Amino acid sequence: MRLLEVQGLGVRFGGLVALDAVDVAVGEGETLGVIGPNGSGKTTLFNALTGLYAPAAGRIRFGEHDLVGLETHRIARLGIARTFQASRLCLGLSVFDNILIGMHARRRSGLLDAVVRRGRLRAEMREAVERAAHLLALFSRELPARGFERVGQLPQIDRRRVEICRALASRPRLLLLDEPSAGMNPEETAELMRDLAVVREEMPGLSMIVIEHDMFVIEGVSQRVVALNYGRKIAEGPFAAVAAHAEVREAYLGRESARA
Amino acid sequence: MFLVWLAELIVFALVVAGILSERPAALAATGAALVAAALLLRLAPGLRRRLAEAFAAERGAALAGGAALALALPFALRASPYWTFVAALALLYVTIGQGLNLQIGSAGLINLAGAAFAGLGGYTVGLLTVSAGWPAWAAVLAAPWVAVVVGTLLFVPILKTRGHYLALVTIAFVFIFNILMNNLEFTGGPQGIKNIPTLRLLGYAFTAKPVVFGVELPAHANFYYAALLTAAVATAVLRRLHDGWLGLVLNTLRDDEIAARCAGVSVTRGKLLAFCIGNFFIGLGGALYAVMVGFVSPPDFDFGYSLIMLSVIIIGGVDSIPGVVLGACLLLPLPERFRFLHEYRLLLYGLVIMFMLLYRPQGLWPVGIRRYR
Repeated sequence: MRLLEVQGLGVRFGGLVALDAVDVAVGEGETLGVIGPNGSGKTTLFNALTGLYAPAAGRIRFGEHDLVGLETHRIARLGIARTFQASRLCLGLSVFDNILIGMHARRRSGLLDAVVRRGRLRAEMREAVERAAHLLALFSRELPARGFERVGQLPQIDRRRVEICRALASRPRLLLLDEPSAGMNPEETAELMRDLAVVREEMPGLSMIVIEHDMFVIEGVSQRVVALNYGRKIAEGPFAAVAAHAEVREAYLGRESARA
Repeated sequence: MFLVWLAELIVFALVVAGILSERPAALAATGAALVAAALLLRLAPGLRRRLAEAFAAERGAALAGGAALALALPFALRASPYWTFVAALALLYVTIGQGLNLQIGSAGLINLAGAAFAGLGGYTVGLLTVSAGWPAWAAVLAAPWVAVVVGTLLFVPILKTRGHYLALVTIAFVFIFNILMNNLEFTGGPQGIKNIPTLRLLGYAFTAKPVVFGVELPAHANFYYAALLTAAVATAVLRRLHDGWLGLVLNTLRDDEIAARCAGVSVTRGKLLAFCIGNFFIGLGGALYAVMVGFVSPPDFDFGYSLIMLSVIIIGGVDSIPGVVLGACLLLPLPERFRFLHEYRLLLYGLVIMFMLLYRPQGLWPVGIRRYR
């Protein structure tokens, strides 16, 4: 069963073709890795999937919905959550606040509950904070206790965890991770791999697309890999096959080394 | 509990003494006491911690004490109708400031048209009472909605522009509002609208001098209590909205719009809510101002007043609900106390904004972290 099916996706910025006729599909509970050199269109793919960029061509089917033309927040509410290559947390807000925003689309209490019928909102907020603490506890034993601290006080690895928690808080069906290991040292990357394994274990039905430069991470987490170059899909299949693919080696290493 | 009340009583006594002391010696003594109190708090961390703990533990008692002293203020100021008026004005700025803080502080919508939205409230009251013959209370209730509706018409440029550009759009709106009020026939042109009837509730006119517990208060005490009630309601409503989903959504929109959208937040809905709710309270403040002073004219709502509203928020602490109360109660009376400052009022506010942004951008009472209790 295909959860996401992208056909002939094209994204253009003026004369520049950022994505050209890309087909990508992800099954329920599957993790797809996306690799490619800088500027090959990986993040553009995410931005098109989440509605930040309007595709010039192609179709995006997500479950029973057609995503092309939908606003970003509507797509998010259908069940696609993402993280960003450069962290996009609200550093001045608390850790809990940053995660709670992910739950906001499913809130049950309205403005009136906030002002007059306070009990309902209070109960809902307490529940939400508990869930946020539970999500944090998946990754680290210390983090839930730091929930009321500002995110700006956390180290880089914990910020990335908070960002993943924010994405998971909306109970998505598809999680898009844009270079989760960016800016991390090897130990931190190993911790991140462990975190992703936890997510996999806790949410077996969740589908994921992971963009990564770290081949170690890609090999570890993805069941299938897609390689992009200059906005086109150049290879698809299991990691070993894609890594050995001549065009992929050429894209990463250049023509000389590909021959050697 | 008594520690909390004692602290509040000392602040109250210092404020009243600062307002009423006429002779230079008395004023100097009050100033010295203020400086001594500030130094004591600064230099005695033990005392500061004990006070903070007491206020945190006894929120109910602190609120009740503050409310009692706010109710008692007109009695302390009864010899001076003028100061009762200034106190009422400061409370109107609390209401306006809370509305504006939702826009500027929580949502990051730099609205420099506060004076125009207050003016919409004030002029609506003037037109409805003087031209259409409505009773003042009905006009005061209707006026904020006019500010909301006109604000909604402006919403398209508000949604399409950000940061500096949004500020410029709203500045343009204040000037358009002023030019229109100066030139339109039915708003009275530069003369404005005079003889706005006073509030009258159940036959009680707000121009009568109230006698409470056998003490005669100045007529402005009526407006003081009306403004106090409004400010309390506005502060409670905005605090509750700030500590719930709306505050969270607006803060996220302010800090990172793309992250908010990808988390399922509708930018249009969030900004529209912030703009409308904010304009409601700004318009309400302007409406009460109109019935309090009895006339409205273009210079009452020019750009300078937008800056005063902005400085109330900046000195108190951007996005901070108690900060707005503190900012309004500090900033409005100060130039009235030192008359020589009055001429240079805008200069003073400008300096205050610059000083705060340079040395204490989080304000005197910085916004806290939502605890969801």
